[in-house]
Amino acid sequence: MTHSHSGAAHRTVAEGAHAPVLELHDVRKRFGGTVALNGVTLSVAPGEVHGLIGENGAGKSTLIKILCGIVKPDSGAIRLAGENYEPQTPRDAKARGLQVVHQEFNLLPFLSVAENIFIEHLPRNLFGVVKRDEMNAGARKALDAIGLKDVDVRWPVERLGIAHRQLVEVARALMTDSRVLILDEPTATLTSRETDRLFTIIDDLRSRGVSVIFVSHHLDEIFRICDRVTVLRNGETVFSRPIGETSHDELVRGMVGQQLQKEMASDTISSAGTETVLSLVNFRHTQSPHVDGISLDLHRGEILGIAGLVGSGRTELLRAIFAAEPPLSGTILRGGKPAVFRSPREAIQSGIGFVTEDRKEEGLILTMPIAANVSLASLSSVSRLGLLDRTMENAMTEKLGSDLKLKYGGPSKQAATLSGGNQQKVVLAKWLARNPQILLLDEPTRGVDVGAKAEIYALIRRFAEKGLALLVVSSELPELMTLCDRIMVMSQHRIVGELPRADFSEEKILTYAYQGERRQTGH
Amino acid sequence: MKGMSMKLVLRDAGIGIALLLLIVFFSLSTEHFLTPNNISNILTQITINLILAIGMTFVILIGGIDLSVGSMLAFCAVVAGTVLTIPDLSVFVAVGLATLAAIGTGVVCGFLNGWISAFWGLPSFIVTLGMLNIARGAALQVTDARTIYSFPQSFNAFGSQMVFGVPVVFLIALALVAVAWFVLSKTVFGRLLYGIGNNEEAVRLAGHSLMVYKVAAFTIAGALVGIAAMVYMARLNIASPIIGIGFELNAIAAVIIGGTSLSGGRGTVIGTLLGACIIGVLANGLILFGLSDFMRQMITGVVIILAVIIDKYRERITAA
Repeated sequence: MTHSHSGAAHRTVAEGAHAPVLELHDVRKRFGGTVALNGVTLSVAPGEVHGLIGENGAGKSTLIKILCGIVKPDSGAIRLAGENYEPQTPRDAKARGLQVVHQEFNLLPFLSVAENIFIEHLPRNLFGVVKRDEMNAGARKALDAIGLKDVDVRWPVERLGIAHRQLVEVARALMTDSRVLILDEPTATLTSRETDRLFTIIDDLRSRGVSVIFVSHHLDEIFRICDRVTVLRNGETVFSRPIGETSHDELVRGMVGQQLQKEMASDTISSAGTETVLSLVNFRHTQSPHVDGISLDLHRGEILGIAGLVGSGRTELLRAIFAAEPPLSGTILRGGKPAVFRSPREAIQSGIGFVTEDRKEEGLILTMPIAANVSLASLSSVSRLGLLDRTMENAMTEKLGSDLKLKYGGPSKQAATLSGGNQQKVVLAKWLARNPQILLLDEPTRGVDVGAKAEIYALIRRFAEKGLALLVVSSELPELMTLCDRIMVMSQHRIVGELPRADFSEEKILTYAYQGERRQTGH
Repeated sequence: MKGMSMKLVLRDAGIGIALLLLIVFFSLSTEHFLTPNNISNILTQITINLILAIGMTFVILIGGIDLSVGSMLAFCAVVAGTVLTIPDLSVFVAVGLATLAAIGTGVVCGFLNGWISAFWGLPSFIVTLGMLNIARGAALQVTDARTIYSFPQSFNAFGSQMVFGVPVVFLIALALVAVAWFVLSKTVFGRLLYGIGNNEEAVRLAGHSLMVYKVAAFTIAGALVGIAAMVYMARLNIASPIIGIGFELNAIAAVIIGGTSLSGGRGTVIGTLLGACIIGVLANGLILFGLSDFMRQMITGVVIILAVIIDKYRERITAA
């Protein structure tokens, strides 16, 4: 958490500036019976990096949709560069110099990077044929400008990792001159190294006088990069302050409305036992380049964290253990005995559960009832002779729902109606219904707001106390450091370091993670 | 399931209301529409399409499509017809064996459809397009392109049997609807078909074999084609290798008009029943109305497109 980065040099730009470039006054919006925005007031100066924070459902997304012309406000005034601003379409918004890099990616996976960057105004000749050289050169320049030198503009976007795609989106947004650039949770999928790169780009924009609205769940990033921060809660502006005049605690209180972070910080007593429930010996999957593969031991009641940069093979490791992708070689020992899983089914039968990184694509059936999602992995215990027993299924859902403090309208409500945190609880419930001995968690709090995060941490600890062994992958180091008994650091598909709880520090973890990188690029 | 099923009831009710309006309209505007004779006529006419559409519902629910049912119908019919006309068999034995042969042929073709597309991860559109040609060719090959006829008298009589003015073959189709409804809404198997149609990967990672359920859906569709083939033979007293051309499209239309989403995961077999009824009532009513065959075809086309447009809005309502 370095406050020094948002140094005085930048702030003078913001303070020295005159009229605000973007002003919102008492903007309101309802969707049917739900109030999405209940009076948002906001002012962004030229060349200012403005943090926008709030829990899920606080109104950030609606606000962004209004600014980029997807949704029209019910009332309130918006001014951009001193003139009334009422965009009817995203095209209007762009024409007025307001660009958004959305949370969901808008890239076309089978077209090249260059084509994606130029998609809105492909350079073409008299006959409408695309001038490929000009386009590629332009794209090259755009990527170089944001330091993305390791990406070939002719590659299809499909080939890029999620982090690089995000940066290509940024490059595309920067193609046209903009007054205001909105970044909607740009770092959610980035590792610290890529985040650094993004922040350099933001710094550069700031010095060119472009205003940036930066939406993030990560407060340390807000402190690092922002000049000013606005907190939203329940569709209203709670406060808006220069970054130097606020504190971490104040922001969290503003978002949550109460002091919830105590729970997150509380010290834990490790419940790790000595009994080994899962061992990997030279375990490799198809993408793993090293003969030695991965070896590790996981104990009963232990929370073992796996840290590493994006692409270090953390997700692939979990997927291979669970046989979601076929493993290549090596041995899995389950409770000391060799085990071979040919499909997720066999891994599940051996007492393993897997909370995937992508809740919406892999974890939940959003359009189906909550009860159907909870029972999905244990249908045999809510059915007889292949006939579903809805009463048993609802009872199971209600029991697990109250155990996990799930906030829901009822077992028959669609999973899509839940907030991110409650959706994640449904995924947890699905596995707990089977009484597993091992739970693999991939980014367990991605897209989950601060309050729900604390609850999920408490749940994970409680599982461990009851003897469940947990293997947790996370890109958020504070998360791993709060939760885990032990952290292993991965790089280039192998374990490059291991830290017991007493030795936890972000610095040590990152040192390991980058060391591995360097060793790799060395040969 | 209360909230969910309420909404589903409302969705189906919409299709039911559309059907009712059509019936009222034709009853008022034509003389013969609401006569017992005409009603049993309509019911007979929709029977085959309904049976095929039940199977199609299973396939479309998992996000697949089966283009081969028309050709498979011909293939099943000529195989069954060959068995049925074996000399010196008692009627009971002959009909029993022929039914087994028809269903067996359908099951084999359906199994191949499902297995090939699941094992190699191919789109079922392509695989069943292949099967469309294979089954048609096989039907022509087996019969040397000849039509089989002179079935036992009692078998032919069965095809036009009535109970209280309702054709027996339609009652069979209704029974199949009831069984399919039970399987889809009350069993683990049905639940997983919906699950696969909505989010295959989530179902796989929850420990279920996608292969089993996909193959089963296509196999069920195949078995129903076999039953439809027997009904066809009993009704028209022939088995020909060139029957059933385009039947797959009518079956798909019934399923879609019935509110099942082409992308899978959403829909009911009750909707399919109503969808098949709408197509049947429309066809019959427009004839009575004095419209030409060509006009009829155009209007049916318009209805299909309308149904999908309405479904778009329904989706929005259920999502809210």
